[in-house]
Amino acid sequence: MAGTAELSNGWSVLDQKLRTFSRLMTTKAAIGQTPKELIWTLNKAKLYRYIPVVPAEERYPIPLILIFALMNRPTIMDLRPGHSFVEYMVGKGYDVYLLDWGVPGPEDKKLKFDDYTLDYMPRAIRKMKAVSGATEFSMLGWCIGAILTTIYASLRPDDGLRNLTLLTAPLDFSATQKLTFARWTDEKYFNVDRVLAAFGNMPGEMIDYGAKALKPIENYITNYCKLWDNLDDLRVVESWHSMNTWVTDICPMAGGAYRQLIVDLYRNNRLMKGELKIRGEVVNLRRLRANLLNVIAEGDHITPPCQSEAMLPKVGSTDTEIYRVPGGHIGIMAGSGANKRTWPHIDSWLAARSR
Amino acid sequence: MAAEKEAAGVDPFEAFRQMRDTYLEGMSKVMIDAVNTEEYAQASGALLNNYLTLSAPFREAMDKAMIMALEQFSLPSRQQVVALAERFTNLEMRLDDLDAKLDRIVELASATRTPSPGPSTPGRRPAAPHAASRPSNKKS
Repeated sequence: MAGTAELSNGWSVLDQKLRTFSRLMTTKAAIGQTPKELIWTLNKAKLYRYIPVVPAEERYPIPLILIFALMNRPTIMDLRPGHSFVEYMVGKGYDVYLLDWGVPGPEDKKLKFDDYTLDYMPRAIRKMKAVSGATEFSMLGWCIGAILTTIYASLRPDDGLRNLTLLTAPLDFSATQKLTFARWTDEKYFNVDRVLAAFGNMPGEMIDYGAKALKPIENYITNYCKLWDNLDDLRVVESWHSMNTWVTDICPMAGGAYRQLIVDLYRNNRLMKGELKIRGEVVNLRRLRANLLNVIAEGDHITPPCQSEAMLPKVGSTDTEIYRVPGGHIGIMAGSGANKRTWPHIDSWLAARSR
Repeated sequence: MAAEKEAAGVDPFEAFRQMRDTYLEGMSKVMIDAVNTEEYAQASGALLNNYLTLSAPFREAMDKAMIMALEQFSLPSRQQVVALAERFTNLEMRLDDLDAKLDRIVELASATRTPSPGPSTPGRRPAAPHAASRPSNKKS
């Protein structure tokens, strides 16, 4: 009798687990929920302003603009209520803006870093200044967003940029032996022009496969095993659901920008060598004078620390800091420890420089 | 927590889970090393090249057939829509330039109308009225 009851209980636990697993696989979590308003658009790009929750007189006068990578959605900055970098910074009294690049279509295949840094970013920043009434601003760039912000800060040092925070910035491509992506995209094996001629933009699925294939067992098997083991833990389940919603929300990367990433950066390391030209103008890192916080994820397999470390001696900034955080490329900002380490550090660094 | 687990009895799957995790950990290291080799880069490059070579004739044929079909139905082709989208973006940029100029004119006009309150502190200017930041104000 007891055996039958145990068996029945076991089946109902398994049934519940299967239902939860199925829900997580087939539905999207509500991410990017912090209230915001759209204040500017250009092509697919949108500039959002998050609704402040701190009274105007208590807010920092220097607005903060967030710039994420080109090949994923920026909702990772605002993952879910109670665990959102945006929500955290808005709560701390920052006037927060987010530049969302949108999803490029076939008509955007020619977009390059040149267009993003000299057409889109200056216009969005102008709008942010007009709305906030500020003449100076802080900027935070993450991953490819860090490349774009570094280029912008070097090309337009007099545009009012006071503070620049770089997260997991892939800037130095000299240590090719440590960079799996560099090996895969070597011209011996990978014909970038042929791929772009076929697809126009770099398909999101291929970028997603590339990122996951760096750690195939973790991404394709262990991730799901761990979820299965914790299906009765609501906190883990909701966290996994929101992260999976973001991970699966993939988008292509504009062909022109992808080509620059592979040819100019991965293959020729032109930014660090001082040879990168944006609309004919050489990107000279020495011209970057903003206060600089360089956040490095020690366990980053997508942007290994060696890619971010070498840039500080090359910039013209006098106020610089490297902050190393245990964790991975995304985990340092969206993992469970982000609100205990990375976010408070960014807040305290910016707070001291935003009055 | 440990007492709770003890009370719940021994989990018969725990040994299996440990074995699985140990195996996956080992496999993970092997696979990370495997994908980080020249051989893997060469193989994945060859696979991609083969796919592009094999799919090219089909893609071209499909493109031609699609263009012809769209022409028959008097519908614009993808290239024409793309060209139109590019023109829209150029127009948007022109509008944005005009917006910037208008903001500047409003700023200069208000500066000439009101006497200067003295040296301004960077970042302390009163926020511009939101209505001035046309044209795309809407709640997301």
